Amino acid sequence: MVLKLLGFKQAERAKPKAVAPAKAGRPTPKARPTPVYEPAEHIVLEEDPVQRHMQLERFGSVVRHRERWKDHPLIEAAFQAAVEEIDRTFAIVPEGFVSLAMTTTDFPGAAEEDVETEPFLLARCCVTNRQYQLFVDSGGYADLDLWPADVWPHLINFKDQTEQPGPRFWRDGVHDQRLADHPVVGICYYEAAAFAHWAGYRLPTGAEWQMAASWRIRSSAHVLRRYPWGDALDTSRCNIWASNVGGTTPVDAYPTGAAPNGALQLIGNVWEWADSDYFVTDDSGRMVVGDMLLKEIRGGAYDTYFPAQATSCFRTGLPSLARVHNVGFRCVVDLSNTSPAPAEGDRK
Amino acid sequence: MTTYANDTLVGTDCLICGARNLSGASLCGQCSAPLAIVHDIAAQDRDPQIVSIIGESNVGKTVYLGFLLDMLTQRAGDYEAIPKGAYSIDLPQTVISHMAQRSFPPKTPMEANEWYWAYYQICQRKPKPKWIDLIMPDMAGESLAAEVASPNTFKVIRNLLRLSAGSMLLVDAALAANGATQGDFFAVKMLSYIDSMHAAKRDERIECPIAVVLCKADFCPECFDDPRRFVRANLNRLWNLCESRFANVEFFSCSVVGSLGYATSPQEDYVVPIPLHTGLQGVLEPFQWIVDQF
Repeated sequence: MVLKLLGFKQAERAKPKAVAPAKAGRPTPKARPTPVYEPAEHIVLEEDPVQRHMQLERFGSVVRHRERWKDHPLIEAAFQAAVEEIDRTFAIVPEGFVSLAMTTTDFPGAAEEDVETEPFLLARCCVTNRQYQLFVDSGGYADLDLWPADVWPHLINFKDQTEQPGPRFWRDGVHDQRLADHPVVGICYYEAAAFAHWAGYRLPTGAEWQMAASWRIRSSAHVLRRYPWGDALDTSRCNIWASNVGGTTPVDAYPTGAAPNGALQLIGNVWEWADSDYFVTDDSGRMVVGDMLLKEIRGGAYDTYFPAQATSCFRTGLPSLARVHNVGFRCVVDLSNTSPAPAEGDRK
Repeated sequence: MTTYANDTLVGTDCLICGARNLSGASLCGQCSAPLAIVHDIAAQDRDPQIVSIIGESNVGKTVYLGFLLDMLTQRAGDYEAIPKGAYSIDLPQTVISHMAQRSFPPKTPMEANEWYWAYYQICQRKPKPKWIDLIMPDMAGESLAAEVASPNTFKVIRNLLRLSAGSMLLVDAALAANGATQGDFFAVKMLSYIDSMHAAKRDERIECPIAVVLCKADFCPECFDDPRRFVRANLNRLWNLCESRFANVEFFSCSVVGSLGYATSPQEDYVVPIPLHTGLQGVLEPFQWIVDQF
């Protein structure tokens, strides 16, 4: 039998060389169109410190500094408003315990570390560009008290596309207003921690984040959730690669993917910085290190290809100074901080 | 129309080099291309196009191609992709299974008879459905280097590049950003090889589309901001050759690994790179551009 195949082979070989006459001069490859950017506006800051704190949505800081401003005529009203706002935007995570994977692969019997977590308040949503704009406009990048001393030399690198202080993908120190309610990205671990400190909050530890997502509360059942909504992947409840969105979404999207306490997007959209160093070993027990200190990130992002890497228990790390397109953060409040006691650990 | 044969009487003509092979042979005796592709193409009604993925050793050709094929089969970018033959699935399966377990796939062997080949029918559904048949082999970087250094060492490479409807030239952006010139020189060698193969005169330029893909761009995010500017600044030899000799070049940045760790041990004097998690950026775009040029 003879198969009549294509004329492909011989035709290709006989084909004249795929060349074209060079045009006069050296043609420069065509430039891509510059993406449109709709800059948000800077804010005008209030003179009064309490009013300015409220304007900047530093609610945690208002609660912390209640004693310092006890003679201020507006402090009680501000305190109440701040507590109400924290109550509205944060959700309680009960005490529990988590098992942190201590190896890069999660084969049965792989090393884990059990960690107990105290109850705390977790932000329902990641910090948005609009919220981070308040930090930038208030001079957060110039306030050295917000940054560890060993990071000061790096502050000059925390610039946007136009060399202004701010997240990597901003321009002229402002965000694109079309992304105002999207999570802020292009910030390193230290920028996330500085914002949290400035606002009167802190970042969650890896164990706290995992507790919030896996909801492993103390009970006789010892139930552990693979995802905040349950055990089965559902791409309609989160924004990962398989959801076919291809970019970040507003932080309040995917309400059906909420954790039992109402925290949104713990899985997908953007990875979240955690206040934990990332130390693991590989299968052979060798320590895994990065080019620099690796900090833990959690939850997966819109471009996470493997669903198994966007679960409540998956741990990974990123260099602490990395300012990438798919990592944001959310804040937590210690329950004790919502009481009127002064904040002794406050660095300011 | 050329007539090929694969039966017991006359044997099978290799699609790549044209050599006639004994019946029942699985690989071309001349160039080691799998003859199963010839049989699969026989059943189709379309001429296949070859897209070559080229670049130096360790640049990430296997990982890139594996993810690209897997993304296409998952209908990324509104494509529909049908793998023809089980051998076409071996590459994405190997890459995906390793990367999901946070390890890189094994190095592609130098021997052409051990390369992965992929034959896919791909439909670009927008603006209107358009089917193309694509053959994409996973060539070893060392083999490419050997062929470039000494033409006809790997006849299969020469034939593949001559028949290619487009090429993706992968360059290590991380090394380039660190000032290493090795990637620049290798890329120039590859393009110079293609240039020589076309035997174009000085005042002619080669029209075969070349997508220059800056791999591992997660190490230097500036690549994503403006790949053209990055190439001009960090891979200037490549930039100049593209301008002088190639009429149809575009520049892209791509990243597959979201973060890289290194397994180290005091007892061992080497480190094992570990892809801590994936984060796909810019994988599909070079392919889309190449396909748009057909």
